[in-house]
Amino acid sequence: MFQNRAEALALALPAAVFAAIVFLVPVVIVLAEGFRSPAGWTFSAYTDFFSEPLNRLVLLRTFKLGLAVTIVSAVIGYAAAFAIVNLSASGKGRMIGLISLPLMISPVARTYAWIVILGRTGIVNQALQAVGLSDEPIRLLFTETAVFIGLLQLFLPLMILSLISALENMPKDAILAARVLGANWFQVFWKVILPLTREGLVVGGTLVFTGSLTAYITPAILGGSKVLMLETLLFQRVTVANDFVSASVIAFILITMCFAANLLLKRLATARNKR
Amino acid sequence: MNRTLSTLILAALLVFLIGPFLIIVGASLSAGDTLAFPPQGLSLKWIAKVFTVESFRDSFIMSMILAVGGTFVALLLGVPAAYALSRYKLPFGEIVNTIVTLPIIVPGIIVGLALLRYLVVPFSFSIGVALFLAHTALVLPYTVRVVSSSFNNLRSDMEEAAVLLGATRLGAFFKVVLPNIQSGILAAFILGFVTSFNQVPVSLFLSGPGVRTLPIDMLSYMETTYDPSVAALSALLALMSIGIVFLAERFLGFSRYV
Repeated sequence: MFQNRAEALALALPAAVFAAIVFLVPVVIVLAEGFRSPAGWTFSAYTDFFSEPLNRLVLLRTFKLGLAVTIVSAVIGYAAAFAIVNLSASGKGRMIGLISLPLMISPVARTYAWIVILGRTGIVNQALQAVGLSDEPIRLLFTETAVFIGLLQLFLPLMILSLISALENMPKDAILAARVLGANWFQVFWKVILPLTREGLVVGGTLVFTGSLTAYITPAILGGSKVLMLETLLFQRVTVANDFVSASVIAFILITMCFAANLLLKRLATARNKR
Repeated sequence: MNRTLSTLILAALLVFLIGPFLIIVGASLSAGDTLAFPPQGLSLKWIAKVFTVESFRDSFIMSMILAVGGTFVALLLGVPAAYALSRYKLPFGEIVNTIVTLPIIVPGIIVGLALLRYLVVPFSFSIGVALFLAHTALVLPYTVRVVSSSFNNLRSDMEEAAVLLGATRLGAFFKVVLPNIQSGILAAFILGFVTSFNQVPVSLFLSGPGVRTLPIDMLSYMETTYDPSVAALSALLALMSIGIVFLAERFLGFSRYV
């Protein structure tokens, strides 16, 4: 530890000032815009926004999809992470590599693949018609299901990787001890594994939930204007209607949800450990 | 857990995570004119076409400049900040840390909108400069985080010893500290590069005539054209990312840093 304060400030200030000017100040002004009117400060932008049924629908859908993706990825994540942790060391390394790989690939490319799979002439429709389950192509794209699948594929690796490191930090004999003492697998998971891996679940959950809430590419490609989510709605309000006030309201909702998720999950992670 | 069950789970997982990417590669090798899998005959014509589309070339160069230049500037800002955060009792250290890492939490689309409305329009900033600033701000948290952990893992008595032996503080930093954290810096650079290159939301509002990042260009291309060229480009980009990660893992043990 060095004590020279002036030196420390000189080193840290450029980055802080840069982030404040390029990022913090403009974002705060955008958020403030939703509370301004020629007459002064007001909430009217918010009452207007929520009185529109479409807006309520989009908000609810975004929240619902975010929650669904988080829960499903946690369920798959535990199964996958458990299987991976029990592999040999080299097998584990290879699996972790394969799971991290998609994270480095452009999300546009990853989402685009689903058009080939779910499109009118895509693989799923070809298969359905070949088997005779359907006579004509079913609309799979531009549905909530398509957006859900796309988001799940995009964010599942983050959940698995968080859970792997949580499971690895868990004492191995805890499971064995619980089994010997007569717990069934359900009890082992609920009473031993879950409490001991809570922090990993919380980290993964925060990443997946906030990632899904603020997704743009997936709903844009797989949902289109039929399945709007908050970010695609924001983009549409600005580009189609020049409606910066609604944009500010949506921005405020997005940021609030992200911060709330971060805080809530952080609290969940620590609350149980104290007991 | 049962062996067969866990093998089945992992196989299904890989099909779900990696399968779509293989399908993209397959579709991009099609000889036909529409996007389809299995491909209608094999050819490299769509791969070749990617290189002849002028807007792809321009936006690729744009994205490269943003990713390389933005990450470089972010490192210039982030390395000293990370050093201050880990080595000094920094007054308001918590606040500085929050401001610098905030761009990870706040959705990029809002940053893009904010810069368009309050930097580009009122001060007649060029969109290219705004894009560069936005991508730099976006990458900054990653550089600070990765480099900070390198600093924290490096014992500070080495540089203290260098100073005691007569080196200046600056000399100790360049001769003792920097060589020891260079792989951390390289890891931060790669992470920053990939983040910036793949980023979409921040660039959505910051595009104008001739100024467009590659992912944005791909999005607008696929809205109007339904041929396999976007698939071909996606496959090429994915191969590029895989190559970078493979090399990084080979020479740095990249995964330790991310």
